[in-house]
Amino acid sequence: MTADTFLFWLLAILTLVSGLGVVLVANPIYSALCLAMTMVGVSAIFATLGALFIAGVQMIVYAGAVMVLFVMVLMLFDLRTEIATFSRGRFSGAVKIAVVGLLAGLLAGVFAMTTALSDGIAPSADQADATKSLGALLFTKYVFGFEALGILLLVIAIGVVGLARSKGGTHAKR
Amino acid sequence: MGESAFEITINGVKLVLVFLLMVQMVPVLVWLERRGSGFIQNRFGPNRVGPLGLMQLLADAVKFLTKEEFVPKAATKLLFYAAPVFALLPGTLAFSAIPMASPLKWGEHTFLIQGYEIGVGIVFILAISSLAAYTILMAGWGSGNKFSLMGALRASAQTISYELALGLSIVGIIMMYGTFNLTDMIHAQEGALQFQAFGYTVSSGFLPNWGIFYQPLAAVLFFAATFAESNRLPFDLAEGEAELVAGFHTEYGGFKMLLFFIGEYGHMMVASGLMATFFFGGYNIPWTTTEQVYQWALGLTGSADWGSALTSAVHFGMFFAKLAVFLWIFIWVRWTLPRFRYDQLMDLGWKTMLPWALANTIITALIVFVVSQTW
Repeated sequence: MTADTFLFWLLAILTLVSGLGVVLVANPIYSALCLAMTMVGVSAIFATLGALFIAGVQMIVYAGAVMVLFVMVLMLFDLRTEIATFSRGRFSGAVKIAVVGLLAGLLAGVFAMTTALSDGIAPSADQADATKSLGALLFTKYVFGFEALGILLLVIAIGVVGLARSKGGTHAKR
Repeated sequence: MGESAFEITINGVKLVLVFLLMVQMVPVLVWLERRGSGFIQNRFGPNRVGPLGLMQLLADAVKFLTKEEFVPKAATKLLFYAAPVFALLPGTLAFSAIPMASPLKWGEHTFLIQGYEIGVGIVFILAISSLAAYTILMAGWGSGNKFSLMGALRASAQTISYELALGLSIVGIIMMYGTFNLTDMIHAQEGALQFQAFGYTVSSGFLPNWGIFYQPLAAVLFFAATFAESNRLPFDLAEGEAELVAGFHTEYGGFKMLLFFIGEYGHMMVASGLMATFFFGGYNIPWTTTEQVYQWALGLTGSADWGSALTSAVHFGMFFAKLAVFLWIFIWVRWTLPRFRYDQLMDLGWKTMLPWALANTIITALIVFVVSQTW
């Protein structure tokens, strides 16, 4: 077993175990922290594939910003009632069945659609070049999709401010 | 890692050394902080234990280690114990990625004087430092104390807010040098001020070729944002022990508290190292290039190996001199400026620093594009 394979299996197991932790742990805080751990694991796998820039951005955006906000919000809840709500009852059961269905669909999709990877894809040796070509692609070939995403995010930001200022919001005008 | 078993061993040892260097800097910094605060506030500071009070830290360390091990009844044990350990990680990992001297060439081996080199150095350091918010949240929530939790929310909100300004402020630098690699950036700042504009070469023997002369606004924004990132005054709303309760580490004492301390000083060291690397030429001696220093060392020692070793040593000293200046500024500011109010803090982050950083990015992009044209 070479160092690369060892690293891959270590990271894959870490990522999958923390991914399982997200759904199996009852306490939402631990779930969220597990999800953050999954993000870090995914980012590390990107790094082993040679996509260092993507790995860094994955870590900054998802693990560093998005998940921190999740955790912050979760910490303000009274978790005992949350745990009770999601442990038993009709709603929880429906969610569980839906999730099992989703998982089955995903697995079926994985087995049906996965084709063997060609071995010809070597990681780019020069990271600066890889990042440069990524940037060039984003601003030439995929510029419309990229800009549309930017506008979507802007709309979300403005919408959130609007909602917060509306009647009864935390920043409502008196 | 390395070509041969020898290089791999050396590189492994290097990682440990960088970590030890960082941890061993902390007592010195604490001493400097306490003596410095005494100096600034016209009092003595610790001066009883040992010469100049230098042994005070040893005494403190013994005190920290022998304190009662205490966990609050309502605490979540796992998170309560994990948080101080995690506090050490971001600073250490990020500091290892900063080049501290020019590479040492010994025979056929080349050793980088840094923990590890990563092609996308800046992105890595930002990514690692962004994980620091978890430490704060874990500590605050794990303590099972509402004051701790409020302190943690306050502190992590601050950290996330200033991360944006921090990240954006260095985009200009990245565009100017056209690289993410810290070593390449340091190479770009060698010698006296010189740059290409409209196909002509502009040079000056008067100023060193430092990033701060190209990106002064970015330097100010970056340094201010790092104060907020490391939770130091004037942004120390994370703690504020006098009027806001001690924040996320209210329930911590003894060695666990000390680990948070080391984490904070680690952030300071990373910030100072990055400041030196981005804006003040890194390990280079002002007005000189690495090649010039190497030639000088070669003339002095007469052997390529020892010349390279001397060059690395000189550069290491230079890097540490720059690091020390910024660390002293951190301490100086702490005992000079009062704390911001929370709304002032958020206003400064979102309404002042973020727009300025954005403007700096756009203007730099335009100038880099225009100046690179030749006609």
